[in-house]
Amino acid sequence: MKTHHIVLDNGLTLIGEENPAALSAAAGYFVRTGARDEAPEVSGVSHFLEHMLFKGTARRSADDVNREFDEIGADYNAFTGDEYTVYYGAVLPEEQGRLLDLLTDMMRPSLRDEDFVMEKKVILEEIALYKDRPRFCVIDEARATYYYQHPLGQSVLGSTESISALEADRMRAYWERRYAPNNLVLAFAGCVDWDAAVEQVTRATREWRPADCPREHPDFVAQPRVRVVPDEKIHRAHLALVSPGVSAQSDEVYVADLIGDMVGGGDGSRLYWSLVEPGLADSVALTHDPEDRFGAFFGYASCDPERTAEVLRRARGVFEKATAEGFTEEEVGRARRKAACARVLHQETPLGRLYHVGFDWQYRQEFRTVDEVIDRYLSVTADDCRRFLERRPFDALTVVALGPLETVE
Amino acid sequence: MPLPGAHYTLRLPNGLTLVAEPIPAIRAAAFQMLLPSGAITDPEGLEGAATVLEGLCYRGAGGRTARQFSDALDALGLQRAGNADLESVTFGGALLADDLPEALALYADLILRPALPPEQFPSEQALALQRLERLEDSPAEKLFVHLRRAYFPGPYGRTPLGSEAGLRALTADAVREDFARRYRPEGAILAVAGRFVWGELSDTVHRLFGEWEGAPPGQPDPDCTGRERYRHIPQETNQVQIGIQYPGLPAEHPEYYVQRMAIAVLSGGMSARLFTEVREKRGLCYAVRAGLLTMRGAAAIQAYAGTQPDRAQETLDVLIGELVRLAEGIEEEELARARTGLLASLVMQSEATRARALHLVRDQFLLGRVRSLDEIRAGVEAVTTDAILEHLRQHPARDFTIVTLGSSPLEVPA
Repeated sequence: MKTHHIVLDNGLTLIGEENPAALSAAAGYFVRTGARDEAPEVSGVSHFLEHMLFKGTARRSADDVNREFDEIGADYNAFTGDEYTVYYGAVLPEEQGRLLDLLTDMMRPSLRDEDFVMEKKVILEEIALYKDRPRFCVIDEARATYYYQHPLGQSVLGSTESISALEADRMRAYWERRYAPNNLVLAFAGCVDWDAAVEQVTRATREWRPADCPREHPDFVAQPRVRVVPDEKIHRAHLALVSPGVSAQSDEVYVADLIGDMVGGGDGSRLYWSLVEPGLADSVALTHDPEDRFGAFFGYASCDPERTAEVLRRARGVFEKATAEGFTEEEVGRARRKAACARVLHQETPLGRLYHVGFDWQYRQEFRTVDEVIDRYLSVTADDCRRFLERRPFDALTVVALGPLETVE
Repeated sequence: MPLPGAHYTLRLPNGLTLVAEPIPAIRAAAFQMLLPSGAITDPEGLEGAATVLEGLCYRGAGGRTARQFSDALDALGLQRAGNADLESVTFGGALLADDLPEALALYADLILRPALPPEQFPSEQALALQRLERLEDSPAEKLFVHLRRAYFPGPYGRTPLGSEAGLRALTADAVREDFARRYRPEGAILAVAGRFVWGELSDTVHRLFGEWEGAPPGQPDPDCTGRERYRHIPQETNQVQIGIQYPGLPAEHPEYYVQRMAIAVLSGGMSARLFTEVREKRGLCYAVRAGLLTMRGAAAIQAYAGTQPDRAQETLDVLIGELVRLAEGIEEEELARARTGLLASLVMQSEATRARALHLVRDQFLLGRVRSLDEIRAGVEAVTTDAILEHLRQHPARDFTIVTLGSSPLEVPA
């Protein structure tokens, strides 16, 4: 396994983890822009723009983009988050050149008016689709409630209103500011021909010019908030729980990850034994989500509406007990092993590996091999968890409940 | 030692089949135990029994309590996978290869020696009822439950979630009886993919599962005679859910690959027909797709779209129009793209242990044997546009069962 890194004259960073034994090659542009970088009146523009990048360039129509991805047999897509927009594809190694040509060209889209109008309809459908998913809605609502006025609380999809009102010129201006080469990282994983990639991308991007791509980092202090979103059309109570975690830059991300798993990471976690096993809630989940300079634990449970107060009381009890007593070495040992195993499995394929290579660079400007990450998980102790919990992160628990409810407590 | 992508097969005297594919370069192993005892064999009036039984198995087995058992799985770092489905129940997971024998021993306890503690039954029943209720908050999933029910009047029309009446009628004793009847080795399949030594693996499986005996009840036929033409589910949602189902060819049919390529032309990549015509050209929806619902001895083609009410009729009309129009002609390039996509994904999936274990267990269940990558490649490469058009003449897209979910019904073709 060989790693590579180069910054081109225009500021574009290329990174790669080369695995000649892999059967495929994966590549992806990690653009440092997302919902948090949007002004309120253009809410959802990052995600809408992600769709528009599939709509063609100076030398490709919308049909061409989709068709070429399919012609090279790529496993490809894109996604938008709070902080990043990622475009990726995995192909058999002999198609690396065509994949790169396509992905790189897409970063310079035409953003034609007629495509903008058509794709707006698709975005509005996507918003409507998620409105029918209470689990998604309650987490989105909880993010906004927890991060309050901080940009990390902004919605990725935007609203029906913000998207309907969005004009193509606003999107073009946003693209100008956010897609400068110095705000992009092109990552590779798997059976990659690195020298050929550097040569090709250097040539293809020689006209690209760097620009100032600032990101606001206002202060944020978590406050415990409780919010009920009554909706009589929904049958179950959907609960979201948010509390402070650590940033993606922190050395404690592995500790936080294990704490999330032990408290509420599905079957076998403390929330599972407290809520699901006795049949009080039909599902629970808790994950730690580390982001740029901040991070948070996001939890979810669904239950019969009349049991909401009891479920919440028990959940709070689980958080309090963990804070007061910490975890046993055996419990941490199991969580360590689960996390290590999950990482090995997720990164078997170049596409699975690409995700980590790209984000490790975007957040920390470093490579972490699978073995290194496993070692870091395996070195977490019960003492590390105790020290983490001494800061009492779960005291600032934000709760949002969605369903046929008026109050929760 | 088989060639790369090849596999071992061993049928135990008790009827359990072990299929295993070595991927030596990998550190992990994935396994799936399949019992042909899914919801279609739920006792009449006890719909949901397979799901409750599967859940109850995790509440203590082989002398361990539920918590001890769960801790033992977690101590191996095992990533759990499995559920009670329509035709089968699966148990399995993935972990680092060295721990595979220990994991299999735990699953032997789970499947052969679950405690099925009566005092735990009410909680499992309560969970099952809640999960059924949760369907009301998941319109797309609810649509597919109704689509299946409208298409198959018999047991194949069930959902593994069960029915409220069936779940309420279940008792702890009924579940124990059901376990004794259904969890039997005849027709069961254990699939393993990843790093292992074949001799050791087969010894382990003999030792753990060799004494197991008996046969589960037979499966009913997937009969769709008397299916409904149109069913509308009134519900206030943001999007109207549209589902279409019509007969397809099962996995063992000689024209299977022809059908598969026809569906790939319709709904393979983003340049396929449905995505292009329904989403890209008309902006009617975000999600639109078609796929094959494969069962043992039967198959159905399913198409889906979700869209807002004012465009629902147009979406249904365009969707049906595209299904029918496929028979009018296919470009060579469309087929070439579908073929390239399928062949590339075959290679890329061969790097993932869990995907391989699923392929093994599915093939063995549906076909009674595992197709090699070369066989699939040859099948895909032999398909021509003429063959697809001839296939579509013989098996045209028509006689649809249509289900919609939303505020008001749509006009469906006669």
